[in-house]
Amino acid sequence: MTWDEKIEQIRARREAAVRQGGPDAVARQHAKGRLTVRERIDRVIDPGSFDEIGRGAGDAEVDENGELIDFTPANFVLGFAKIDGRRVVVGGEDFTMMGGSPTTAGLRKSVYAETVALQHRVPLVRLHEGSGGSVGAPKRPTPPAPVFDPPRFRTVAQTLASLPVASAALGAVAGLPAARLVSSHFSVMSKSTAQILIAGPAVVERAMGEKLTKEELGGAEVHARNGTVDNATADEDGALAEIRRFLTYMPNNVWELAPTLPTDDPVDRQEDALASIVPGDRRRAFDMRRVVRMVFDRDSFFEMGRGYGRSQITGLARLNGQTVGVWANDGRHLAGAMTANGAQKARRFMELCETFHLPIVALVDEPGFMIGSQSEQEATIRHGAAAVLTAVSTTVPWASVVVRRSFGVAQAAHYGPDGLVLAWPSAESGPLPVEGGVAVAYRRQIEAADDPEAMRRELEETLAKKQSPFPRAEAFAIHELIDPRETRPMLCRWIERVQPLLPQLLGQSAFTLRP
Amino acid sequence: MSEQIELETGGTVWKLLVAEGDQVKEGQELFIMEVMKMEVPYEAPIDGVVKDLSIAEGDVLKEGDYAMEIG
Repeated sequence: MTWDEKIEQIRARREAAVRQGGPDAVARQHAKGRLTVRERIDRVIDPGSFDEIGRGAGDAEVDENGELIDFTPANFVLGFAKIDGRRVVVGGEDFTMMGGSPTTAGLRKSVYAETVALQHRVPLVRLHEGSGGSVGAPKRPTPPAPVFDPPRFRTVAQTLASLPVASAALGAVAGLPAARLVSSHFSVMSKSTAQILIAGPAVVERAMGEKLTKEELGGAEVHARNGTVDNATADEDGALAEIRRFLTYMPNNVWELAPTLPTDDPVDRQEDALASIVPGDRRRAFDMRRVVRMVFDRDSFFEMGRGYGRSQITGLARLNGQTVGVWANDGRHLAGAMTANGAQKARRFMELCETFHLPIVALVDEPGFMIGSQSEQEATIRHGAAAVLTAVSTTVPWASVVVRRSFGVAQAAHYGPDGLVLAWPSAESGPLPVEGGVAVAYRRQIEAADDPEAMRRELEETLAKKQSPFPRAEAFAIHELIDPRETRPMLCRWIERVQPLLPQLLGQSAFTLRP
Repeated sequence: MSEQIELETGGTVWKLLVAEGDQVKEGQELFIMEVMKMEVPYEAPIDGVVKDLSIAEGDVLKEGDYAMEIG
C-alpha cells in the first residue's frame, strides 16, 4: 500500500488551516477594517520566515470510511519566525472562527506559545483579537483538565521573568486574551480597531445596567490613559511596527545581553541648547523630551506609557549603541509630581530594566509626590513607596542627572544603589520645594508683612539659593556638577565603564515585571 | 496647513500672548498655563495666523480642551 490517501488528507487539512474561517468570515473581518491573524503575522515578521507549529490541530469531520468531510482548524495560529533576523515565537487568536473564543486545540496552542518560547529562550510576540471561554457547550465536549495540571497562568508568569514578551491588541480583546495582553513587557493597542474588555457590552448591561459601546467601555481613550496598555497607535500596522521597534532594544532572554547596534552619533556630541533649556525663572516649565532627544543617540528614544502617569516619562534609548532605560520627569504635567499612576509606571519601568539587565538613566526634575485630596484617595503614598523600594532593590547600574528639582521622599525613586550622580547648575534639592515649605514655615512672618506676597517671594528666593548644587558638590554629596552640554559625553563614558559589569547580572532577577 | 492647539494638561490660563488674527512664527509662545504653580508655555507648532481663539486669561481648563488654531 502507499500512504497517498493519508498524505492527501494532511494536505487537505493544511489547506483548510490557511483558509481560516472561510472566505465569507475573512471578508467580514476585512469589511470591518481589520486584518486576519495570518496577515498580522506576515506583517510583523521578516518576509517568508514563518515556521508554523500545529497546522493539523482542529476539528475534523470524517465519514464512516474515514474520509475527510470537513476540517475546522484550531483558532490560534502559532509558530517560530524571525524579526530583524532574530528568532521569535509569534501567535494570535483567529477571530474568523468563533470570534477567537478558544477551541480546545486553540487553547492548547495558545498555552504552548508560552511553553515553546520558554524552552527556546526566545522573545514572544502575541497578536490578540479574541475572547475567553464561552458558556455555550462546545461541539465536542472534553472532560475538564485534571486537578494536578499546572496552573494555566504559570507559563505566563515564567515568560515575564525569562524573555521579552510584546503584545498587541488589534481587535476586541476580552477575558483570557486580555489578561495575557497586559502580562507583557510591552503592550500596544490599535486605536482604530481595538478594544480591551473584561466583559463586553451585553454582559455589562445585564449585570450592571450600564449601556455602553465596546469603544466607550474599553477603547484607547480608556486604556491608553489608565496604563492598561503602554502605547496606542493609529492602526494595526502602527502597533506591529512598535512591537518590532521594542524588540530591537531587547536581549533574546534574561541569560543574554541586549544587542549593541552600530551608530554614527558621536559620543562627544555636545548640544549648545542644553545650556539654556532650563529657564532661569524657577516657575517656568520646559520640554524634557527635548533634553532626552539631545542627550541619547539620535532618534533612539522609544517612549513607553506616554498616555498615563504623564508627569513621568519612561522609555528605552541608546547610548553609543547600547540599550538603556530612560526615566525623566515632565514638569509640564502636574509640575512633574509623582502621582499614583506615575509611580506605578515608574515601578514597572524599573522592573523591566532589572529583568533584562538594562542600565537606567534618570533625568531628575522631581518636585515630590502629588498632594491634595485626589492624590490621597489614589493611595499615592503606597504606590510611591513601592517605586522607591523598587529603585533601591535594583542591581542594574544607574546614572542620575539632577536637571532641576529633586525633592521629598519621591526623589529617592530616581537614584539606584551605587549610581553615578551628576547635577546641572540648575539643580535644586532638599526635603521639599520652597514654594510649599515657605508658606507653611514662615506663615506668621508672611502674614505680618506689609506686602505678604512680596515677602513670600523674597523668602522663597533666599531659601532657593540655599538649595543650590554647589554646596552639594563641595561636600561630595554628588559625583560631579557639570555643564549640561557635557551630559552626553559623560553618560557615554559611564556606559562604557558599566558595560563590563552586566554579564555578572545575567540570569533571572530577584524580582521581575508584574502587570 | 493648520494645527489645532489642545491642552496637554489641565490648569489656569495665566497669560495669553496672542490675539485673534495675529501672525505667529514657529516656536513663538502663544499662551502660558499655570499648573501646580508651574508656568507651562505653549508654542506655535508652525508659522501661521491665530484663528478661532477659544481661551482667555483666567480660564480654568482641563486636559484636551481646545485653545486655538494656527493656520
